[in-house]
Amino acid sequence: MSVIAVYNIKGGVGKTATAVNLSYLAAADGEKTLLCDMDPQGSSSYYFRIRSDKKFNAEKLLKGGKHIDRSIRGTDFPNLDLLPADFSYRNMDIALDDMKKSRQRIRRIIKPLRSEYKRVFLDCPPNITLLSENIFHAADCILVPLIPTTLSLLALRQLYGFLDEIGEKRSKVLVFFSMVEKRKKMHWDMMRELIKEKECLPALIPFLADIEKMGLFRRPVNAMLPNSVAAGAYADLWRELKKRLERQ
Amino acid sequence: MSELMPTTVPDDMAVKGGKKVLWIVPESLAIEPLVADIGRTFTLESESKGKSVATWYDTFDWRLYRRNLHLYADLSGWHLMRSDTGDPVAWLQGISPEEVEFVRHFPASRIRSVLEPILAVRRLLPLFTEETTMHAYRILNSDNKTVARLLFEEHHYQGSGSGLRTVSLHGVRGYDSAFRRMSRFIDGRGMGNPVDGLAVFREGARTGGRIPLDYSSRFRIDLRPEMSVRQAMIAIYRELLETMHRNEPGVLDDLDTEHLHDFRVAIRRTRSGLGQMKDALPAAITGRFRRGFAWLGEITGPTRDLDVYLLHEKRHADRLPERLQVGLLPFFAELRDRRTIEQNRLVKQIASDRYRKIISAWHEYLHSGMSGSETGYSARPIIDAAREIIYRRFGKVIREGKAVGPLSPPEKLHRLRIRCKKLRYLLEFYASLFAREDSDQAIRQLKRLQDNLGDFNDLTVQQAMLRQYLDTLRPGSRKNQETAASLGGLLTGLYHEQQRVRQEFDERFREFARPANAGLYGKLAGKQKRSAGSGLREENG
Repeated sequence: MSVIAVYNIKGGVGKTATAVNLSYLAAADGEKTLLCDMDPQGSSSYYFRIRSDKKFNAEKLLKGGKHIDRSIRGTDFPNLDLLPADFSYRNMDIALDDMKKSRQRIRRIIKPLRSEYKRVFLDCPPNITLLSENIFHAADCILVPLIPTTLSLLALRQLYGFLDEIGEKRSKVLVFFSMVEKRKKMHWDMMRELIKEKECLPALIPFLADIEKMGLFRRPVNAMLPNSVAAGAYADLWRELKKRLERQ
Repeated sequence: MSELMPTTVPDDMAVKGGKKVLWIVPESLAIEPLVADIGRTFTLESESKGKSVATWYDTFDWRLYRRNLHLYADLSGWHLMRSDTGDPVAWLQGISPEEVEFVRHFPASRIRSVLEPILAVRRLLPLFTEETTMHAYRILNSDNKTVARLLFEEHHYQGSGSGLRTVSLHGVRGYDSAFRRMSRFIDGRGMGNPVDGLAVFREGARTGGRIPLDYSSRFRIDLRPEMSVRQAMIAIYRELLETMHRNEPGVLDDLDTEHLHDFRVAIRRTRSGLGQMKDALPAAITGRFRRGFAWLGEITGPTRDLDVYLLHEKRHADRLPERLQVGLLPFFAELRDRRTIEQNRLVKQIASDRYRKIISAWHEYLHSGMSGSETGYSARPIIDAAREIIYRRFGKVIREGKAVGPLSPPEKLHRLRIRCKKLRYLLEFYASLFAREDSDQAIRQLKRLQDNLGDFNDLTVQQAMLRQYLDTLRPGSRKNQETAASLGGLLTGLYHEQQRVRQEFDERFREFARPANAGLYGKLAGKQKRSAGSGLREENG
């Protein structure tokens, strides 16, 4: 079983698209999969047309156990469940701060899910907070989509600094390139630079209109357009990631 | 279902919220108006349509069904799933049904590794072939999110002309109220009560002439304590004759070795009953059928003996270093040839007049209701007779077991083995007369001792046979030299194993003879615990 946090300090790098499509692919492989939408915006939940229960909120999430059990929803796809986000998640840090063992909370609430699910994906909000720290402790793998730009490199260094600070291994981090525009020379140059600094997964996700269309169809691109270039790119990425997870 | 064993499949991926209800659609009800009706109240979207042909398999004794498993083959390959939830367990592509008769015919795969310990030497028998037409619909909420699924299916069982129409509702986790509403809606459409998920399978099996769990190798008969000895024994013999009848076709067609094994065990049990309870039936009847069943034992023996050898082929080979293994090949090839000859002989005997006469006369006697007047022993309540004879047999096993010393010849152990077997049959015949846990425990303890004695005996017989074969090998040829070397190696291995088994005997017997076990037999005999124990001590003192 593995917990995969899809994370980047920066927003708009394709985190949600990654979490949605990879969790769909894992489930399609026959692996019982749970996608936890941790972002108060609830984009993953939106893509799967799932609303959170009226009684569910950040506090209930942090209590865990039956509160989570009751809030998990089946998606339209076999083997894939989703824990929808709630807008109250925006105050997660405050809620966490009031708790004992506030750094290990997410790890503790995910633990019982390990017996039911083979893969748990966490779609994380873009920032470095107490919640992020919680997520880094809980995850077996931190999957970082990276747009090949200078700022992304900076964000990656910030992430490493933070991991050192909280005593987590840098080896948990797996990087891949996202929203790559193959026409842009700068993207190619940056990718060459980045590869020198950190090993990246060989599969990359190009910048494609089909991925943006997910918001229109409200379905994973691999379910909507299984033969598209975008679907192929995610399938490659999942294959690579799965290999790494099995090695861990 | 209480007779279902816990599943042997890893249960770590438990299904939550995967609710399902299944209805059988009555013949009077048409599907299309029903779908239209549902569509007026719910948002319904056609999801998929399809046709499939699948053949379902199990062993003669329902080994898969007992373990909550279903196995079927269709165009896409072999599918193994949990029967209660329908969850897939394993899938194997590219192997056609014609290629698989036994589990060893599957290539190394998850299907094989799950099935191997369950099926062992039993053949996979096709139970039925069904053609299914299905149409799946999604039930959507206002966000166009699927909140439940409806599946309409028409099953046609090939070769039977009969079929079944079903509708099933599949819930989506977290959308329970939609599931409940839909379920109530269908319930109100003249559908009748929901059925369990195995209904379609059961109907298929029925068209193939089988009812799940209609056969088991375990002997189990419910006797009433007040039955007379004769009534009880007739009931037991009927059950055993039924086992013979059930297995006869499998023996004739040589489907797998277990048919002959069960067939033979039924013969042996009958013989043991006729011998140990000889006054239960009129003397002329007992005498006539003891002779008859002795002959049945004789004609079924050679094939079974060879089966035992051949089933050990791999184990024998594994005992030898790789270089010597090849020398066994001609030996086993010859055994296989001999088995073919013996099997043909057996088939002829079963087709003979003599066989038919014995079996039909026995059947007639057991079912005629004219079993003769009961007097003396045969009229006693079975519970009394059972208590008495089990206690006596137990005492005999204890006495003879204690007389076995380190230097005793193998014959002594052989005799003890026979004693144990007789006791075992009695315990099985009369198990229903005693508290379940007592008879189960008695059988379990006896089995441990029997396993040791059985192993010892098998090893004796095997060595004798190898030596006999070795005597027939002419020296000179290279091939024979290799075979002789292999057999020599095998003999050495068997000898050492037998030494080990022999050493274990003391421990096993001590366990069997301990006071607590004597107390258990005292309890079975209806005696006070203390007096039972002391009675035995006197007997053995």
